[in-house]
Amino acid sequence: MEKRMKLLPECNRFLDREIAGRKAGVLVTAIVSFINILLLFPFFGWVNVVNIPRLFAGLGITKEEAGNLFTSYSVLNLLSFVQESGEGRIGLYAMILLVIAAAVIFFNVAYVVRVVLDRKGKKGNLSLYATGRTAMLFEIILTGAAIGYVIFSNSKFGMKGFAASPIVYILFILSVISYLAVKVMEAEERALYREHGMLKEIKKNWVLFIMLLPTFIYFMINNYLPMVGVYYAFTNFNFRDGLWGSPFIGFKNFEFLLKADLFRLTRNTILYNLVFIGIGNILQIVFAIFVSQVTVKWFKKTTQTLMFMPYFVSFVILKVLVYNIFEYQYGLINNFVTSLGGGRIDFYNTPSYWPLLITLFYLWKNIGYGMVVYLATIMGIDTEYYEAAKVDGANIFQQIRYITIPLVKPTFIILLLYALGSIMKGQFELFYQMIGNNGVLYNITDILDTYVYRITMTQPLSLGLGTAAGLYQSLFGFIIVVLVNFIVKRRNPEYALF
Amino acid sequence: MKVRKGTATIVFEIITYFLLAFGAIVCVLPFIIILSGSFTDNTTILTQGYSILPRNFTFAAYKTIFYAPKDILQAYKMTVFYTVVGTTLGLLMITLTGYVISRKEFKYRNQVSFLIYFTSIFGGGMIPWYLMYANVLNMKGSTFAIWFPALMSPFLVILMRTFIVGSVPDAITESAKIDGAGHFTIFAKIVMPVLGPGLATVGLFLALGYWNDWYRSSMFSTSSKTWELQFYLYDLLNATTALKQMSQSSSISTAQLPTESVKLAMAVVATGPVLLFYPFVQKYFVSGITVGAVKG
Amino acid sequence: MKKTRKLISILLVLTMLFSLAGCGAQSAADSMEETTDSAAGTTAAADETTSGTAADSGTQEDGAAESGAAEPVELDTSERVDLVFYVVGDAPADEELVENAVNEILLEKVNATIDMQFSTWTDFQQKYSLELTSGNADLIYIANWLNYGQLAQSGAFEELDTLLDTVAPELKAIVGESNLNMCSVGGKVYAIPCTWPEYVCNGVKYREDLRVKYDLPVPDSIENMEAYLLGIQENDPSQGLLTVTTEESQGFFTGFDAAWIFNYKYPWVNPNGLPYGLAANYDTPSEVYDYWYSDDFVEDMKVMKRWADYGFWSKSALSDTNNSESYKNGLCVAEIAGQNPNKQITAINDFKNDGHDDWESVYIAYGETTGVIFPGHATQNGTAIVRGCKNPERAIKVLELLMTDQELNNLIQAGIRGVHYDLDDQGVYVDLNDPSSPKFAYEGFNTWALRNGDYKIPQESDIILNEMFDKYEELGNKTKFPNVNIYNGFSENYEAYAAERTAVSNVIKQYLAPLQAGLVDDVDAAVEEFRQKMKDAGIDVCREGYKEQWIAYCEEYGYK
Repeated sequence: MEKRMKLLPECNRFLDREIAGRKAGVLVTAIVSFINILLLFPFFGWVNVVNIPRLFAGLGITKEEAGNLFTSYSVLNLLSFVQESGEGRIGLYAMILLVIAAAVIFFNVAYVVRVVLDRKGKKGNLSLYATGRTAMLFEIILTGAAIGYVIFSNSKFGMKGFAASPIVYILFILSVISYLAVKVMEAEERALYREHGMLKEIKKNWVLFIMLLPTFIYFMINNYLPMVGVYYAFTNFNFRDGLWGSPFIGFKNFEFLLKADLFRLTRNTILYNLVFIGIGNILQIVFAIFVSQVTVKWFKKTTQTLMFMPYFVSFVILKVLVYNIFEYQYGLINNFVTSLGGGRIDFYNTPSYWPLLITLFYLWKNIGYGMVVYLATIMGIDTEYYEAAKVDGANIFQQIRYITIPLVKPTFIILLLYALGSIMKGQFELFYQMIGNNGVLYNITDILDTYVYRITMTQPLSLGLGTAAGLYQSLFGFIIVVLVNFIVKRRNPEYALF
Repeated sequence: MKVRKGTATIVFEIITYFLLAFGAIVCVLPFIIILSGSFTDNTTILTQGYSILPRNFTFAAYKTIFYAPKDILQAYKMTVFYTVVGTTLGLLMITLTGYVISRKEFKYRNQVSFLIYFTSIFGGGMIPWYLMYANVLNMKGSTFAIWFPALMSPFLVILMRTFIVGSVPDAITESAKIDGAGHFTIFAKIVMPVLGPGLATVGLFLALGYWNDWYRSSMFSTSSKTWELQFYLYDLLNATTALKQMSQSSSISTAQLPTESVKLAMAVVATGPVLLFYPFVQKYFVSGITVGAVKG
Repeated sequence: MKKTRKLISILLVLTMLFSLAGCGAQSAADSMEETTDSAAGTTAAADETTSGTAADSGTQEDGAAESGAAEPVELDTSERVDLVFYVVGDAPADEELVENAVNEILLEKVNATIDMQFSTWTDFQQKYSLELTSGNADLIYIANWLNYGQLAQSGAFEELDTLLDTVAPELKAIVGESNLNMCSVGGKVYAIPCTWPEYVCNGVKYREDLRVKYDLPVPDSIENMEAYLLGIQENDPSQGLLTVTTEESQGFFTGFDAAWIFNYKYPWVNPNGLPYGLAANYDTPSEVYDYWYSDDFVEDMKVMKRWADYGFWSKSALSDTNNSESYKNGLCVAEIAGQNPNKQITAINDFKNDGHDDWESVYIAYGETTGVIFPGHATQNGTAIVRGCKNPERAIKVLELLMTDQELNNLIQAGIRGVHYDLDDQGVYVDLNDPSSPKFAYEGFNTWALRNGDYKIPQESDIILNEMFDKYEELGNKTKFPNVNIYNGFSENYEAYAAERTAVSNVIKQYLAPLQAGLVDDVDAAVEEFRQKMKDAGIDVCREGYKEQWIAYCEEYGYK
């Protein structure tokens, strides 16, 4: 970097010149950003379809189908080519381009807006440059990937059927230059605020990076690489074309879900989860405090162990137990009620009992397990605090109120945020085993997971639908977590999840 | 030091003991039913239902399970292996990660936390995950595919970070750094020793996860030699339903299927050892660890 | 002023860039047209090349077919091939032992080995399609209950027509044209069925000893079943009568097991009629009529209500799934859903093994009353080659050997003689396994699809089974389509109405099941509500789509 600065002193001088109250470099790169955004609009062809007759003949596209196709595509509508032509083989690539394009738009717009607004942050223009750098980086990736796309699809179809338009090359060169320019300005700014970049950070904290290496590999293999599978949500899977070649169908799978009473399912899922999270955590904290306050050792140990036990009762067995308790004719409860002279209760045909029962069994199964986290937190609290409080004459309730609860709060918030992320998922086994095939109870006990499970049972090839449902759950959870995390961060950054 | 108990304390203690005892009984009741069922004659269960005490006491169910002990012992052995390897490695990796993302001087701690947390919300679904291990890594049938996928979880990493932030004040690590200690030294000498409850919690969750898992065996095992215990038992249960469903459309010879009491005995066999082991972990939750002394 | 000038220059640069970008999107069809007109030569050339390559690649496949009959080709076996054979279910303890014995012979004969892989019974449907997706297997077990039709339609398997002619003509000969034809989907054969005909006709299994004891009528009709159950209830109020749940009634036919009893009433083409509440009689399969919206249906639901009020089953039956052992343990006196001759055999054996020598189970097929009886369909048990298999020739050769070579067939089906089984004087199978932990039970590899009628080692229970089969065959001969299973060769393509279909499936669970379980107060009102909900769910779309396909299918096969 420094070498380059020496090499191009004139360039540097130009970048630093002030124009219209801003550095020339900033202005120029912002313009490039603007061009980036502008040229992303679908009227500008990035990928041209050449050699049309041969290509279409090879792909088996008829003249009628060709009516819906264009001669050139931008990255934003490239997927429509995949969809209209039925060529799933290039679908994933086109999808990835679209995702990168979304990132390009986001960062470039952010950069232009920030340049226009011209607000300085805590560390001068550092965060502005970071935005600009990312914007340019994504543009480089996008244009590079677009060129790669042409090569990829040509090799897939075994002929020269696509060509990148000059725009792509120009944008590529422009964004590389702008990237370097921002980099140069950023380096200067960093020197000013004694900040450092990634390379410097790695050099400085290489031990920490090594510590993270196994984790990086793990999450790459187990989570990030398989994530390309979300693409299936937009396809209609069939074995003939395989996982990556199946026809791209856009949002059809989501439409299917929408038709399927999505509102009721979403409502049920969220309500159950809110109750589970809320009451569950409160009871876990309460019982953790109880256990921590018990001084008789054997009692403490025994109750803690016993409360942990339901966690081990598998749902399959729980189902049988529950049925034996609530059955109409010989169930435990009805036996008891009739022996007192009451009338039998028809649990399995009365939906209104079940929200309560499901909640009770959820709590029963999870209190002991979830309590462990809070117990460990309470045990980690410095005993000095309590000693001091006792000396000050605080009674046990005051100690809990003013010491334990505030110190448990961070753990609570972390767990809460964590749980909110999966607010649309949840507890499939509990619902599935307790309700089973009893349609009478569905209205009030059906959650998204059980519903999707039933679909996949009646439709053997519903891979896309399942993935779409998963994506919906994820997006929903993600938005909620980001919102709540934002609020938490506003109030107390210490508690935020990220 | 003996402090005289005030009324508040006495009231509190009465509530505590009462509620805890009540909770414990509610929690343990079904387990007793399962235990007694496993010792009850099968026909009795079917005709008279479950009970608190075993009727027509018999060891028949356990005899059935342990009739050919080789298989079940192999499953035990493998589960212990997976649990030990997975928990040890996982705990190490989680603690290291938790340490790194709790370091203030680490510039990317928030980004890394986010990337880890992100995996708990977004995923590609089961099929690409399966293909990753089975086709890309070609690990189907190996033990690796069984212990590796559960080494870490975003939940446990974030939990660990919370524990580390809560129990290791910055001042200590800072002073250690000034004394010239490297990250590995700080991690091993300062962080690990005060992390008792955190390690115990995360380790417990990891170990329970391994012990209770059957899914990975179901997906990746190609021979019963690598089966996890829970899968060994769970598969027997499933065989009942599956064979019933299948024999509807085809004449197939149905093997000996587990009876009600055998199912219950299996539940006991699978969870018993963990319950015996749990009290040993408990001691970490019983005594708090004083950080204050170090803080000075 | 200065600022403006700068802005103008920026705009100029931008305009330049846009002009570079050129015209916007243009329909490809126009340009296709243009180019076709202007450069007709190139198009023609392109067409030629494509058709040329198609012909080139096609010669190998179609060559034999074009030249007429089978043209067997000598298989090149110089290179050893290791195949994976995927089956459902659990592995036997002696998997390796038998596998090695099989491979020894296979290596010698065709220089190939097989590795049996098992789905286990946990999530086997899911893992089955996963195996097809990942494409690790070469040979795979197929069955209609594993959605063979849909999977074949979707292209999960290799087409076998040519392979059968060129590599495995012997296999084709023993399986027979008509059997193969039943396995064809869209005109192509994708699976090799087993060659052991069996009857899986549904029916009722009941306790004959109790019937005799209380002198009750034989439950061979709905009325007699009612009388039989009532009689037992009267004589022994504590005796459980039926354990009916929702388990055998998943899908689009019924919602609750008790409704299976109406098979006594209707001579339908398939147990419980057609999906979506449609029905067609066996004698007139293409004349589809409506059941759910008919008066018969209301009458039938009143019967169910009456039975429920008599207390033939628990009021909580919709959630009960724990019925696997009721009959075996005498907790119920009859089973009416999902029964077949083989289950009767199991019941007889169970009673004997559990020491209930005074209990007697008798089986009545519904068809004995209605006169509609037919054998199982060929797609009930079959083997296919997974799409993408690297050595389909060798795979089918191995399959041929496994089915046509008696030594191999017996080995893979029953294990090693002298270790796992033996034959008595009559040549009947004698199990040498320890019954509590069998090393390799009969058909221990779950390769039901490899059954060869000629080589299948008879089991003791086969005697009773064959008696039953003979009886059914005789009855089946009297039907309009003698001993043909019409229904199961059909596979529905519901892509066009998948959303409605899902909604219908939910209405079945929510409204039809309680109706058929007699859990409603007013049958007429409940039927009305059910019908309305069905309409709302879009039942008409499903019915139309289904009817069209079904009638086309009947036409194709000549089921008029």
